Amino acid sequence: MLITCPYCGPRDVIEFTYQGDGNRERPQPASQNLDAWNAYVYDRLNPAGDHNEIWQHSGGCRAHLRVVRNTLTHEISSTAFARGGHKSTARHKAEGKS
Amino acid sequence: MVERQSPLEPVLQAGSHGNFEHGVDIILSETQPGSIVQLAAWPGEERRLISGIRTVTGLALPDGAGGGSTDGVKSVFGFAPGKFTVVDEAEGLASAFAGVVTPAIGTVTDLSHGRTAIRIAGPKAEWVLAKFFAIDFALPAFPVGAGRSTVHHDVFAQIQRTGADQFDIYVFRSFARSFWKALCHASEEVGYEVQ
Amino acid sequence: MSPRRTDAGGRIDRLRTIRFTFDGASYTGHAGDTLASALLANGVTLFGRSFKYHRPRGVLTSGVEEPNALVTVLRGEVREPNIAATMIEIHDGLTAVSQNRFPSLAWDVSAINQLGGKLLSAGFYYKTFMGPVFGPLKGTRFWMFCEHFIRRAAGLGRAGTAPDTARYERMNAFCDVLVVGSGPAGLMAAKAAADQGARVILAELEPHFGGSANWSGEVIDDMPGADWAARAAGQLEGHDNVRLLPRTTVWGYYDGNTLAALERVTDHKENPGKGEPRHRYWAIRAKTVVLATGSFERPLVFPGNDRPGVMLAYAGERYANEYGVLPGDRIALFTNNDSAYRAALALKKAGAAIVAIIDVRPELSSEMRKLAGEAEAEILSGHAVVATEGGKALSGLKVQRFDMVSGALTGDARSIHADCLLMSGGWSPTIHLASQAGARAEWNAARQAFLPPRPTQRWPTQQWIGAGAFTGSFSTAEAIAEGRAAGLSAAGAAGALSALPSVEAAPGDPDPAPVFEIRAKGKSFVDFQHDVTAEDVRLAHREGFVSVEHLKRYTTLGMATDQGKISNIPGLAIMAEALGKPIPEVGTTRFRPPFSAVSIGSLAAERFGDIKPERLTPMHDWHIANGATMYSAGLWYRPMIYGHAGETIEQAYVREAKATRESAGIVDVSTLGKIAVQGPDAAEFLDRVYTNMFSTLAVGKARYGLMLREDGLAFDDGTTWRLGEQDFLMTTTTANAGKVMQHLEYFLDVIWPELKVHVTSVTDEWAGAAIGGPKARPILAACVTGTAVDNAALPFMGIVRGKISGVPVMICRLSFSGEMAFEVYCGAGYGTHVWEALIEAGKPFGLVAYGLEALGTMRIEKGHVTGAEIDGRTTARDLHLDWMLSKKKPFIGSAMMDREGLIAPDRLELVGLIALDNRPLNGGAHVVEVLDEANPHDSIGHITACCYSPALGKHIALALVKGGKARHGSRAFVSDPLRNRFGPIEIVSNHFYDPDGSRMHG
Repeated sequence: MLITCPYCGPRDVIEFTYQGDGNRERPQPASQNLDAWNAYVYDRLNPAGDHNEIWQHSGGCRAHLRVVRNTLTHEISSTAFARGGHKSTARHKAEGKS
Repeated sequence: MVERQSPLEPVLQAGSHGNFEHGVDIILSETQPGSIVQLAAWPGEERRLISGIRTVTGLALPDGAGGGSTDGVKSVFGFAPGKFTVVDEAEGLASAFAGVVTPAIGTVTDLSHGRTAIRIAGPKAEWVLAKFFAIDFALPAFPVGAGRSTVHHDVFAQIQRTGADQFDIYVFRSFARSFWKALCHASEEVGYEVQ
Repeated sequence: MSPRRTDAGGRIDRLRTIRFTFDGASYTGHAGDTLASALLANGVTLFGRSFKYHRPRGVLTSGVEEPNALVTVLRGEVREPNIAATMIEIHDGLTAVSQNRFPSLAWDVSAINQLGGKLLSAGFYYKTFMGPVFGPLKGTRFWMFCEHFIRRAAGLGRAGTAPDTARYERMNAFCDVLVVGSGPAGLMAAKAAADQGARVILAELEPHFGGSANWSGEVIDDMPGADWAARAAGQLEGHDNVRLLPRTTVWGYYDGNTLAALERVTDHKENPGKGEPRHRYWAIRAKTVVLATGSFERPLVFPGNDRPGVMLAYAGERYANEYGVLPGDRIALFTNNDSAYRAALALKKAGAAIVAIIDVRPELSSEMRKLAGEAEAEILSGHAVVATEGGKALSGLKVQRFDMVSGALTGDARSIHADCLLMSGGWSPTIHLASQAGARAEWNAARQAFLPPRPTQRWPTQQWIGAGAFTGSFSTAEAIAEGRAAGLSAAGAAGALSALPSVEAAPGDPDPAPVFEIRAKGKSFVDFQHDVTAEDVRLAHREGFVSVEHLKRYTTLGMATDQGKISNIPGLAIMAEALGKPIPEVGTTRFRPPFSAVSIGSLAAERFGDIKPERLTPMHDWHIANGATMYSAGLWYRPMIYGHAGETIEQAYVREAKATRESAGIVDVSTLGKIAVQGPDAAEFLDRVYTNMFSTLAVGKARYGLMLREDGLAFDDGTTWRLGEQDFLMTTTTANAGKVMQHLEYFLDVIWPELKVHVTSVTDEWAGAAIGGPKARPILAACVTGTAVDNAALPFMGIVRGKISGVPVMICRLSFSGEMAFEVYCGAGYGTHVWEALIEAGKPFGLVAYGLEALGTMRIEKGHVTGAEIDGRTTARDLHLDWMLSKKKPFIGSAMMDREGLIAPDRLELVGLIALDNRPLNGGAHVVEVLDEANPHDSIGHITACCYSPALGKHIALALVKGGKARHGSRAFVSDPLRNRFGPIEIVSNHFYDPDGSRMHG
């Protein structure tokens, strides 16, 4: 499987670490709502189809990415930096045209 | 001044090795730069950081992810969003940047001891590196000056192409000896020279 | 002169003679021969014994799909079993032996299994290895004893036990177009794509490019096909955007157009070059793949179809045309389609007599009659072979009139004298890779074959284009046209205008008659390698196995090393007939990787042997030179002890720990994880990450910190040093350095992107030495310049900068050993220099270097926790670290750490244990209140770490025990039935030694 890192371009999945379900929302740090914390820590979506995931390019630029991956076909329809910002000119896009 | 010890000392054996009877296709060396510095900009401060790099090193960075350049003495390349590795033959680069890269722009981290710089050159450099890293080393995909972050098993590597047939690889010091031995092993079939 | 070698012809080099041995006998062959062709040329017909029945078997094919002629190749001590003789290129010194026979290939005692064939029918293993469920042997191990011999009797080659000394390598490759297969379609595709400037890789599993062009006898572009193929390959070689990979089997097709291939680099060489790997595992990432993998000819299923001398028709043609070998002198052919006629003519031209062509079809085209006439062969249309004769070689066959609609055999059997029978049951496209890539094969009734879907039905992550026989287009002219179109399309170009190469080929209808089996008396083999007969398939049906997947598992059809390349379709057809359903309704199985056998060595590649990454500290060579026994901790190598001559490990660490507590000791702590935490929000970030406060830490001071996971359990601990207002140096445990780094990066990237903090691994930047003991401070005072190290300048948890022997150092006063201790950090390149200076300065004070064992001993004596206690199940409270849980701020884990299960009174808590019988304790041993050696029960906890304590003169341990502190002073027992260690203990505080810390604080 290849994941296209917005910085490094397409790389083999061996360079990435799965960092969990990207649909989870962390409660405010001071929140005492245990149900919300419980949902954040333990609940995971398991869709048959497109899934929002967090991957870290741990064997590359180390950025965390938001990846939409189809769990049935492994097709990756989008990748983006998890933190936003740092909108670098993606090299792989320029190369794709050549 | 006390001499820095290379982690490769006991295993770096100058001379020709492997299948070299018909000439060597690989030249391996340790470049031992005086300074290896990591610069990292806060989001939105990349331009100011890049201009700071030019002020200190005289090197201009081409646009785009992984862009870099080298003048043979100093080298710079991007390896992650907003992050750059700057290398100089001389020591003291971190202090030179300390006044230029202010806390408002980003951070300076001295890695002069923590990374070991290994140069692989020769017509089979791409071939040998392809045994280690799952990235495309062909010149159009990896132009001269550009940098890449990648990994071989647990060995993280930043690689800058410093010539058509030449790459400088920065690995964690603790892995350097092991990686060097692996590089030598992988170069045997094409013949290699250690300088 | 070899008995079966033709006088001329073939692609072998008759001027080069090669010597090899098979089963100990010496043979010669020529360069270009395979082991199969060379042995056939020498008149060898018997290659092996079959899997279950030990029937004599010859060579059935001339390619990768060979099920019968499997041999073991010996290289020195190393033996490699189950290699198809058809895929072994002979070289001087090649040593091969046959398999699955005892005592010899010709006289095999297990051949008696043929008589008991009924016992070894479908589902034999399932039925047999259940074992007796009633009777005197029920529940005994008798059946397991028998199983050993039964399994031994059935089988393939035996694996060797000698270590494989060959070198294997992995290569990564990238290309625009990967072309798999180099027949006319593949060659055209590669050329078309290369001419467009695309980066092309052409992989061919055989030694030579060209596929069927090398033996079809066809004329392409007015030259023999083999010459055309050689020219095309030569032209491709000249392109610098093309990589040619001969002897390379593409065996796996994975997501994202990543393909796995095995290149056999030196198997064909007597003397491999220096450093040359035996096999290369290619991981190829291709933008587009052209599948030009051709097709496999199918056998017909009839009694005795496995006798040596019975062969696929294409194979006979190939042996004659490519290798200059006649598979027989008097050859008969048995076919359901036209392709066998070309083979008949080729063999006639090569010098054999074609005694008959037996065709199941009642009517033949005039073109086929003409070809048969040229071959001077008698035509027996509407006939079928019903038996073969002979022992280790074919001597004849019997034919009967055959009605292909009803399957009925009529009339008298007629005997035909022949020493070779070539059969053709039609052709199956080699769709394995497309199937792996998710393509659902479609049954084509005309071709009687499963064809790959049109490219519109691709799996979204795999882009391939098919060409040639792979798509069911069996003629060379079609292959050439489709190949070029595929190459152009793969390179993203429009159609070309230039003319296609011309082809002169024998005529023939690509569609066979729908006949797979001739039902007559005797064993008719479907899967030759696993000895599955047509009757086995029907038996499986009668026993209720109706799904094709179940059929496969029950009969083991298609599950041998050849993975049913030629047996799947006949097996399926017989099953469909038994079910009374058409073949497409029965369906087919999905192919999995690998396409053909892959060496394990190639998968391990450079990870094999001593080429695995090792992490060495800057002082590694000093440790070795000074007698350290090294210990691998993760990838790191750390000194375990610095043993003196004659010392045991325990004596060494006791000496080292004692000397440290009496005078001073020094230990290499460079492996501790070190993370630079920098930026204006660094202090705020640490407050969120650690359970305790760091924003209040003064510059020039360090603090011990604890991290929890999100779920409230303890994660890691370490000290963090504030080097500047916005500059912290965090240390982590050696084992968790990578995990902590990822944890921090995750929160900065995903949860709190607004924080201006950068984290960088600086583990390798710093060499670290911890020096502790009553004499540690005087030693530092003797060698540190530029700073005082007394209590005023360097209080507990203070940091100073100075120099040792000219090298800048940072010194932090902190203690893990419980003694007055300091951690000295310097640039890693100066590590050994500073270490040696410390050792030198320590000589007058009795300083010793100590290793991990002494380090562990002193930490147990102090009751400090490490990964053995922070095991992912313990909380801060369990470890008596609740004093570190700040109530002034939220932190990671703070919301979840007070859940009822995590504060329950019966949780395991950290305690100390003292062995009351003065014997060593064991890690992992249980703690019990009531000792019951016969039936240990009711554990109240377990030991996490243990040692002999020189400070206490006792065997002690840390343990996690229910009730914890409440049990201090009480007695219990260790219960360790595995190691037979039982005995009384006292439960005490985990702080065995100097509990008030007076030594450390000075």
